[in-house]
Amino acid sequence: MDYKKLGLKCGLEIHRQLDTKSKLFCGCTTKMMEKKPVLIIKRKQHPVLSELSEIDVAAQYEYLKDKTFHYQVFNNESCLVETDSEPIHPLNQEALEIALQIALLMNCRIPEELHIMRKNLIDGSDVSGFQRTLIVGLNGYIEYYGKKVKITHVALEEDAASIVGEDEKNKTYKLNRLGVPLVEIGTGLLIGYTPEEIQEIAYLIGMTCRSTEKVKRGIGTVRQDVNVSIKNGARVEVKGVQELGLISKVIQLEVQRQMSVPRVKKEVRAANLDGTTKFTRPLPGAARMYPETDIPPIPIDKKMIQRIKKHLPESWIKKMKRFEKKLNLSEELTKQIIRSDYLDLFEKIVKKYRVNPSVVANVFVSTLKDLKKRENVRVEKLEDKDFEELFNLLKERKVMKEAIPEVLKYKVEHPDEPVIVGVKKLGLEVISDDELMRIVKEVIKKNKGQLEGKIIGFIMSRVRGRVKSENVVRIVKRLLK
Amino acid sequence: MYSKIIQDVLKKNNIKIGDFVRVKKDESVYEGMLMPRIELGDTSCLVIKLNNGYNIGLKFEKGVKIGKIKGGFEIAHKHKKVTKKIIFDKKLPTISIIGTGGTIASKVDYRTGGVYASFSPEDIAMQIPDLKKIANIKAEEVMNIMSEDMTPERWIETAKEVAQDVNAGYKGVIVTHGTDTLHYTAAALSFMLRDLPCPVVLVGTQRSSDRGSSDVVMNISCAANFVANSDVAEVCTVMHGTMEDDYCLAVRGTKVRKMHTSRRDAFRPINEQPLAKIYWKSRKIEIFNKNYRKRSDSKVKVDAKLNPKVALIKCHPGLDPEIFDFYLDKKYKGFVIEATGLGHTPTLGKYSLLPKVEKIVKLGLPVVITSQCLYGRVHPTLYHNLRELSRRGVIFAEDTLPEVALVKLMWILGHTRNLERIKKMMLTNYSGEINPRIEPKDFLV
Repeated sequence: MDYKKLGLKCGLEIHRQLDTKSKLFCGCTTKMMEKKPVLIIKRKQHPVLSELSEIDVAAQYEYLKDKTFHYQVFNNESCLVETDSEPIHPLNQEALEIALQIALLMNCRIPEELHIMRKNLIDGSDVSGFQRTLIVGLNGYIEYYGKKVKITHVALEEDAASIVGEDEKNKTYKLNRLGVPLVEIGTGLLIGYTPEEIQEIAYLIGMTCRSTEKVKRGIGTVRQDVNVSIKNGARVEVKGVQELGLISKVIQLEVQRQMSVPRVKKEVRAANLDGTTKFTRPLPGAARMYPETDIPPIPIDKKMIQRIKKHLPESWIKKMKRFEKKLNLSEELTKQIIRSDYLDLFEKIVKKYRVNPSVVANVFVSTLKDLKKRENVRVEKLEDKDFEELFNLLKERKVMKEAIPEVLKYKVEHPDEPVIVGVKKLGLEVISDDELMRIVKEVIKKNKGQLEGKIIGFIMSRVRGRVKSENVVRIVKRLLK
Repeated sequence: MYSKIIQDVLKKNNIKIGDFVRVKKDESVYEGMLMPRIELGDTSCLVIKLNNGYNIGLKFEKGVKIGKIKGGFEIAHKHKKVTKKIIFDKKLPTISIIGTGGTIASKVDYRTGGVYASFSPEDIAMQIPDLKKIANIKAEEVMNIMSEDMTPERWIETAKEVAQDVNAGYKGVIVTHGTDTLHYTAAALSFMLRDLPCPVVLVGTQRSSDRGSSDVVMNISCAANFVANSDVAEVCTVMHGTMEDDYCLAVRGTKVRKMHTSRRDAFRPINEQPLAKIYWKSRKIEIFNKNYRKRSDSKVKVDAKLNPKVALIKCHPGLDPEIFDFYLDKKYKGFVIEATGLGHTPTLGKYSLLPKVEKIVKLGLPVVITSQCLYGRVHPTLYHNLRELSRRGVIFAEDTLPEVALVKLMWILGHTRNLERIKKMMLTNYSGEINPRIEPKDFLV
């Protein structure tokens, strides 16, 4: 499909939870580990009149459903603030600093005074009826292969409660996610890009956030909204794409949908797990925002910005260049490892154990995937320390890189045994040069007159994964001469 | 207010608050509406409302340029002429809503971010749609003050407004009020409105009415139902019963206290059961406490004689008895002591209150003892120290709440200065302020 001809225009809004000690406006933990609610509070919400006495379309639509909201309260994870029974506490400074880091990494301007706004929501996902949000950065950009992609804003906001059940009259929410700090990054209108390229841009934004090492990882910690429109169409907002890898598919399917319906309506759609979307509500009018008055605006002084700038993490562009030039990774491998969840661990291992970076990167981006895909090995059970032990063994030449898949598989099946025990039990310890010489001589003697290739084959079947194969070839060739 | 420098620049460029402006700063351009400078924060920061709705503050420094794009809104709320009464259905009873402060309806102007309170019956009805099915309403704001600025003079003013509507034949009256001192006003109205023929209910809101979660909707809805349909002719409060939006409690105006700074269910009955439970959606009214005045055809009389020269003094370790001399110098005519436990005050050495109490009583002024425990009754003779106080002629006010005793003593002093008569009146149960039988279930209700 020629997306340029179709006039594809997209906008991205990327949300990432921050891994702070406490929530944005109270002292509750952001861990979200509790399973059982200790209390359920039933509440109603009502529309708030606007100056024009017109409750906007979206709000009214929701209101007419006449829902009862059931809020689940969890120990340590929700207090009077989340239940809208106590005014908010001062803004979490840790979250503010992380958000400022992200804004600066995206080359944003930082206002000297941050104003917290209330964004009205009437779906019940925020107990108070509004979500608090503040812009921390504006007018930024990220580089995308020589082009500048505009970042319109970086906002710091409180996450909404997560929905756990719904029927015609009731909606049940868990309050442990409500108030977890979240950054929202909005791009300018992306015109002239393919869906794949737009997905790539989303990746870059995600990587930039991750480079602070202060964003949460895993399911539910990242959510993307994508605005999609084509020529003669209307703006459709697809909310809640949970996986970055789904963005291009969502865009493709939404374009197809818009082409197949006679009149595209402005609306909000929710992303399903397979990339298709479902209608949720008409698109709300202009942002329903007004200032938060419970706490004053937050001054940002130049010294604070300078201090944060000094300690900014490496940008992804610099990191890519460094991986290619200093670590000698191929361009493809660089791209893969930078996107990988194991990026931090990769860097740590390369620095600490000084093993071949390509070998380490390959383990993380392909060996683990193969094990999972082909043999259904639950590689997610492997912990950071297991990889550290493995690469330490590699560095001390106690194991060969060829043995790694087998060793990892064994480790998953025997989580209590150290990696080295697995190596021994599998008989995959490295063979010394003397031992190798003895085996080669023995095989040659037994198979007199056989072709060189066959003899190498016999030997390899005995020493695979325990010596460098080029050593076997070299010794056989020398002895047969 | 913006700093002088900003004000001058705005004037020079003919820019008014509310205009759309373009600000150039550090090679970056920001466009949006110029907002008024809010009271908090840096007056040398321009506040701009961006087109996406967010506000930001930009420091006005050297090199910053501001220009007008176009004129904008006038950021001020225009008061419309409002009707006072709205009839939804002639068959429904008509009730009166009197505003003293606190808001029922709020309007948010998203263009400017302004929040405006409205007291028009139309806006109230729009905010609380169930009202249409409950009662016709007359609504009038007689004053608009913060709860903490309430005064005895304003209690009297409020009482007169209520009485006027009661005697004009409204089925019941709702008084909206800020929450902090709502229970003082409730007590004052309880004593001043004599021969009340219908319910008079005080209602507040703990979470402001500009939020979708505000408690005001259920509180007013339940209050309207209660004053229109119950036969409880008492002054009471109607506020959330729990943290949920399921029912409100009607609590007697002399037995209610704000027990939490921010929860919806902050107003609790002390030393007795709530009068009634009012379910919101089903509109069922469940009577809990049958000890109440019934509706009648009588006319209410305002007995508004008050003497506000009464001091409320809280006992605590280290309290200097000389504090009483200050009040005596200032010609205070009565004292309510919020004593410890069963009604104790210090009696030892230089901290002993006994000499002062003796002096005050000898001057013919009343000293009333209540307890800072709030729950339970004070006792005049149980311990030696209590007997010492009692012997000196102080008045032990049973289970009357300290704040209620304060209001009651003001009211009594408006009628008599005779100590014996004061004592008798203080121990007379005028408006349910004394519960002669406290039951086990009456604690932490």
